[in-house]
Amino acid sequence: MIEKKARFIFEGVINSYAVLFFSNHKVFSYLLIAVSFFNPAAGMAGLIAVLTAVFTATTMGFNAVATRSGFYSFNALLTGIGFGSFFESSAVFFFLLILAALFTLVLSVTLSGVLGKYGLPFLSIPFIITFWIILLSTKEFSNLGLTQRNIYWINEMYAVGGKPLLNLFNAIENIPLPKWLSVYFKALSAIFFQDNILSGFLLSIGIIVYSRIAFTLSLVGFFGAYLFNEFTGANQAGINAYHLGSNYMMIAMAIGGFFTISSVYSYLWAFLSVPITNILVISLSKVFGVFLLPIFSLPFCIMILLYLYFLKLRVFAQKLVLTPIQHYSPEINLYQFKNGSERLKNEYYFKFNLPIIGEWLVTQGYDGKITHKEDWSKALDFMILDHQLKSFSGKGNALENFYSYNKPVLAPGDGYVQEIVDYIDDNPIGEINREQNWGNSIVLFHATGLFSKLSHLKKNSFIVKQGEYVKKGQVLAYCGNSGRSPEPHLHFQIQSTPYIGSKTLAYPISYFYQGDGKEIKYKTFSTPQEGSFVANININKLLQQAFAFQPGYSIKFKEGNIIETWTVYTDAYNLTYISCKENNAVAYFINNETVFYFTNFYGSKNSMLYQFYLSVFKVVFSYMPQVTIDDVLPLSIVKAPIVKIIQDFVAPFVQLIKPKYMLNYTSIDDEYFTSEIKLESVIEIDVMRHKRIYRTSQITLSNGRLNQLVINEAGKERVFTCID
Amino acid sequence: MSKLKYESPVIKKMNAGLMNKFGTRTEYQPLKHIDGVAVKDMIAKYGSPLFVLSERKMRNNYQAALRAFKTRYPKVQFAWSYKTHYNNAVCNVYHQEGSWAEVVSGFEYQKALKNGVPGNKIIFNGPDKSIDELNEAIKNDSLIHIDHFDELYTLIELSEKAVKKPRVAIRVNMDTGIYPLWDRFGFNYENGTAWNAITKIVASGKLNLVGLHCHIGTYMLAPWAYATAASKLCDLAWHAKNQLNNPVQYIDLGGGFPSANTLKGAYLPGSDTVPHIEEFAEAIASTIIAYGFKPDELPLLILESGRALIDDAGYLLGTILANKRLSDGRRATILDFGVNMLFTSFWYDHKISPAQDFTHHSEDQVLYGPLCMNIDVIRESVNLPLLNKGDQVVVHKVGAYNMTQWMQFIAMRPNVIMIDMKGETHLIRQKETLQYLEMPEEMPLHLKEFKL
Repeated sequence: MIEKKARFIFEGVINSYAVLFFSNHKVFSYLLIAVSFFNPAAGMAGLIAVLTAVFTATTMGFNAVATRSGFYSFNALLTGIGFGSFFESSAVFFFLLILAALFTLVLSVTLSGVLGKYGLPFLSIPFIITFWIILLSTKEFSNLGLTQRNIYWINEMYAVGGKPLLNLFNAIENIPLPKWLSVYFKALSAIFFQDNILSGFLLSIGIIVYSRIAFTLSLVGFFGAYLFNEFTGANQAGINAYHLGSNYMMIAMAIGGFFTISSVYSYLWAFLSVPITNILVISLSKVFGVFLLPIFSLPFCIMILLYLYFLKLRVFAQKLVLTPIQHYSPEINLYQFKNGSERLKNEYYFKFNLPIIGEWLVTQGYDGKITHKEDWSKALDFMILDHQLKSFSGKGNALENFYSYNKPVLAPGDGYVQEIVDYIDDNPIGEINREQNWGNSIVLFHATGLFSKLSHLKKNSFIVKQGEYVKKGQVLAYCGNSGRSPEPHLHFQIQSTPYIGSKTLAYPISYFYQGDGKEIKYKTFSTPQEGSFVANININKLLQQAFAFQPGYSIKFKEGNIIETWTVYTDAYNLTYISCKENNAVAYFINNETVFYFTNFYGSKNSMLYQFYLSVFKVVFSYMPQVTIDDVLPLSIVKAPIVKIIQDFVAPFVQLIKPKYMLNYTSIDDEYFTSEIKLESVIEIDVMRHKRIYRTSQITLSNGRLNQLVINEAGKERVFTCID
Repeated sequence: MSKLKYESPVIKKMNAGLMNKFGTRTEYQPLKHIDGVAVKDMIAKYGSPLFVLSERKMRNNYQAALRAFKTRYPKVQFAWSYKTHYNNAVCNVYHQEGSWAEVVSGFEYQKALKNGVPGNKIIFNGPDKSIDELNEAIKNDSLIHIDHFDELYTLIELSEKAVKKPRVAIRVNMDTGIYPLWDRFGFNYENGTAWNAITKIVASGKLNLVGLHCHIGTYMLAPWAYATAASKLCDLAWHAKNQLNNPVQYIDLGGGFPSANTLKGAYLPGSDTVPHIEEFAEAIASTIIAYGFKPDELPLLILESGRALIDDAGYLLGTILANKRLSDGRRATILDFGVNMLFTSFWYDHKISPAQDFTHHSEDQVLYGPLCMNIDVIRESVNLPLLNKGDQVVVHKVGAYNMTQWMQFIAMRPNVIMIDMKGETHLIRQKETLQYLEMPEEMPLHLKEFKL
């Protein structure tokens, strides 16, 4: 128990360091601890303050996740380091240090509550306030002396590391660096109230290790300030090492990569925010100068809060996206967001099918020229045409001659029958009824604010009743020629209100075929195009069954002598995942009854489950020999480290590496009574347009399940067989 | 100006009608071209008589029928009825369109295999399947439609030795409210024999009951009869699923859809009375959909339509050999084709068009074939323009059954050609020769020689 608590506190302390740079990178944390001890007293004071804060927060029962991540204690760290850097150690010093650490904690927690309501971070405000209070008050405490160690820091260095360290130190200080580079390093070290190149150098290495994006952003902040200074001729006002580090570079990192998803726009904002911060630094320094108070990182805090709140109030935010889920790494934030927005965006749509059986022509699409106008523009009209593109056989003067007439109209999705109109006569061919323009219609309620409407139906053809619950694909009524319809056709629209005359809502159809006469394409979450033939996809039972993966389902795979047992579970958020009993690897997936796809993988990349994750990254439960299912894989599957590092540097602007997943349906023994299906998936990695097949796998489904996987990666073949 | 045709004068009874300055007219139009190819040219090239098949018409018929079903029911499969027309070129047109094969004999089965139809896409129907044929069908995973209990027991026996579990369906006969009731094929629904057969199959554990089949009649004019049949098959499927836990994967409604030919004795022409294929599709699809299966558990609907897909794609071209007066004064025209090659003239009053221009005079006449046999009558009484020796005629809607039921009686079978989508003609069956006819004959030694 005690050990567990000590471990917890230890982690809280370690994490507090990296959080200063918006990171949770362990290596970076250790490096920061080491650098903080270049000024031993400051390092020690920082450690004591963090320990005090983490211990108190743990003991008093604050949010464990926040405490452990160092979220409540990084301000105490700054206070401690500041304390150690400014004051001479003594009994009073330690007493005040602990008091200050506790006060910072109180402020941190309080501000997290106050600002948290607005979804804003409290940044280093607790540190600034605490330190101001300390600075203003300590002038009265005669037993607490200001330290001069910062002036004679070489003595300190000697005390810690002896001659060798000192020599190293001198050697580094004496390396003839360009002026800007030494200023850059010193600016970084100033974040820890230090002023030396070695610290700065180590910190910059740490930043590169933690995030390439953060590093480039620190350069943006640095040069932004430098250029602005040159431009305005401000004579270095507001450009000292501390402000360079704690304000300009930090703000660039925060705006450019942490609080927003990095992009050209975030870099531009990062760049623009530097001069504004510079103005703030100068002006605030004048105000607080009156009280002889340093402003520390106050301009940074003000800017960030303004920036975030400003962006939050946008109604439509497509560019410059605020980080939806914080992964404490600009790269991960960016890659996850990109992958997620490419892959998962559609999962939130209500899944509509086409309301038809067989192949129909979209005679009028969205914004059609005939009647799909203004508030009613996002609608679809369907009609059946033959191979000569005629809509009727015979003379075409009777309703019965028309292929569309009297054809079943299906429920596009599950829902309640909201309203039915079934008293309007079908028009003779060529006549329209403008009085009751929608004709016989049905409105279905699918979800709050989501209705669908089908119109121009045949009189007295309704099979369902008002209030009845209908399933997707159930026959509702038959296509007719009532309302504003000169010849039999079906009108289909999605709307957000329940009335017959409601305005339309643009909403995609989840999965369908679309043909233009030449080739047939498989479409997902898009709108059928005017002039194209469309049809619903057919679900293949074997595919659906093999990937059903109900919670509790267990399957064993064997490769040589190795056996892995995979069991399906659901977590507290109702997410489904496959867990491997032997090596604890976990793969999250989504199965929406039409498509199976993996969303995440955690665990050993040597596991068979990982190979499975790559092999069936996405499978649509329809046998489509003419179609290739493709998907975007996460960058994490790429192994080449150097290419990946280069990719990280330029990630906000271009994607150099594109891992692509492609699935083909290679064979089926019988389309209707399927007992065996073979699939082939290929992963192709595109590095700056040089495409390379990374791996292929042949997947065999039989006996109602996944039977065999043959994987070929870099000429090596692996065979997984399903065993009972 | 070419010499006017001579038509021998005839005295006709005066039929009082409205006065018309153009005189009386026939409804006939000459049919000079089929799919843009001149009848004259085809006869010149391939001889007379000549069967002509229109690939365009076959594909159009198929696509129209498929559309009628596929826009009403999500899972539809057609199986080409080989007995209707088993010329390989014809079969392949339908196979190219996506049709499976439906066969009723061993040789049809072999034909389907040779045409490249995968074994599991051949439906094997009929009361006569030999042990060898059954074994081969089992080996090829074909769909075997059981006709009687003896066959069922045979199959159970054969399944003991078979590697694969045979996939079977039973043929069900039933009262659908029409006459005649075809109760000679399959197991009866009303008296429980069909259910008995189903339970026997499931209980045996040796056969895989995958489907239910019926074929309620031929040239059916009542779409509602199919609704009744579909409903009864659904009943069996529903009970098989719920009572025996053996869901059937398909329901096969067979064929029997009519073509627009006019049956003998019908008062009105077939083109006016025969229901459209859409009406049959509506009756069948709406019955199964409304029966209560879940949308994703609807059985596959198989149709074995033959006649409705090909009858009007076939034409028989022929030439007038002679004409004469019968003793009672009726006009008789003798054609160069008879019932030996136009078997369906026993069933239908075929529509026959002259292939060249004619005068406005017409006369009721008998059309005889060339056979030296009294039964050789193509039409007993038809009002046609006056045709002379050497004139050509086109018989309509002869695509179904003729080229499988024809015979070498007195005359041999003529050439069969197909006009493709581009209007090119292709010989798909050569006219028979004496050598062909005698090929299977054997001569005992003692009969080899004779003296007269």
